[in-house]
Amino acid sequence: MDDTEDAALIARCLGGHQDAYEAIVTRYQRGLFTVALRMLGNYEDARDATQNAFVKAYEHLNTFDPNQRFFSWLFRILKNECLNVLRARRPSQEVSLDMPSVRAADPVEVRERQKAIQTALMSLSTEYREVVVLRHYTDLSYDDIAVALGIPATKVKSRLYTARQQLGELLMDWRVAR
Amino acid sequence: MTNINDPWRDDEVTRTLNDLPPVDPPSTLVNDVMSTIASRSAARATHSSFVPTKRGGNMAKKVLWIVAATAALALIAMRLVGYPPVEKGTEATIGAAQRYQSPQISSADVKTQDAQLQAFLQSDVFRQLTTDKTARQALKNQDFQKALQDPAVRAALASSDVRFVIGNLRVADAAALAKSDVKSLAKSDVRFQAALDASPSLKAAFESSPALRAALASQDVIAAMNSKALDAVLSKADVAMLVSSDVVLRAVLSAPDAALDAATAAGSAAGGVKRDAVGVVAK
Repeated sequence: MDDTEDAALIARCLGGHQDAYEAIVTRYQRGLFTVALRMLGNYEDARDATQNAFVKAYEHLNTFDPNQRFFSWLFRILKNECLNVLRARRPSQEVSLDMPSVRAADPVEVRERQKAIQTALMSLSTEYREVVVLRHYTDLSYDDIAVALGIPATKVKSRLYTARQQLGELLMDWRVAR
Repeated sequence: MTNINDPWRDDEVTRTLNDLPPVDPPSTLVNDVMSTIASRSAARATHSSFVPTKRGGNMAKKVLWIVAATAALALIAMRLVGYPPVEKGTEATIGAAQRYQSPQISSADVKTQDAQLQAFLQSDVFRQLTTDKTARQALKNQDFQKALQDPAVRAALASSDVRFVIGNLRVADAAALAKSDVKSLAKSDVRFQAALDASPSLKAAFESSPALRAALASQDVIAAMNSKALDAVLSKADVAMLVSSDVVLRAVLSAPDAALDAATAAGSAAGGVKRDAVGVVAK
């Protein structure tokens, strides 16, 4: 499915065919949920944020500009949902990083490593975390990320560079601590 | 301290990030989304006769106005015609009752605004507003305060589509909007033009209110458009008007974070208003 097919489905949705939206949700659920999970570090919160984003997107589909990529638009809605969740969390609130991706069947070392990576991601500020998540866990190009975040592509690259440096430091600390 | 220019680190970071496996979304996600959409659509359809349509039609309200106007006309006609006739022997009783009641109730003493204010300050919407950091942060913005006093802005922000468009404005668009006029931004930005085309009321509000444009320079204001507490306020123009008043703004912004304290503050603020109203009546 490409952007043209997206446009056709959106046009059908706007024409009152609710079922066309199911195809859109099916297509984007994996990408959107992955982004939410990496942004929030919590399975339940990610599920709620993804669901809310899809529902809001449907309700405001008439405001979508067909000249932009649908995922970029969806991401902006999801980002606001994630920010709401993060704001609602108290500063001292512990976030459970236990999630299905850290499977019990995996060796202990693998599980610890995955937890450490997610913890390191959560340590980044939101603006750094989002570029890392979009770059590494979606198939968006630098230009697409720039559109989704509303910043120039050069800024995406510089943020990504800084974010990776910070991640490197955090993960280095974790390796040394072990 | 490690060498941040060491190229292997980037490779290492990339490899490390790739260690996080792809995650399957919850198996019920699609169904949950579609059933939520279906239930909301059904709820909207059920209430559609009471919700203003895009063309402004609202039969329930129209009928209400017609009934009220007819009743008012009937009362006036009855007064002029002198119906029902006063029977002999009852004049004194009626006269005494009128003399007794007249000093207590007059139109000048009825403070509808105060009553609305009291009710709002004790409502759940107010409590939510005082405990919502995002909404409070936005209400601290003086441009936003000023914008809310503009009826055109309140009317525009009452639309969920308008709040959605503002809440999802790109940072660059919002900043450009705060600095330049609407038309030039729309010319240079196709996306923004599309948003304006989709929301004529948003276009009108932007053009009529420099304060609204200036308020968008604040990310707090943009973020607040996604706040549930502010959503409850802005969706109703009369509530939004109350919130734009100094009394409510002071009460919201001075309320402590804890919900209990906020409720107490709301109660005492409402008490203050009530005392003022009573004072006016007593005079």
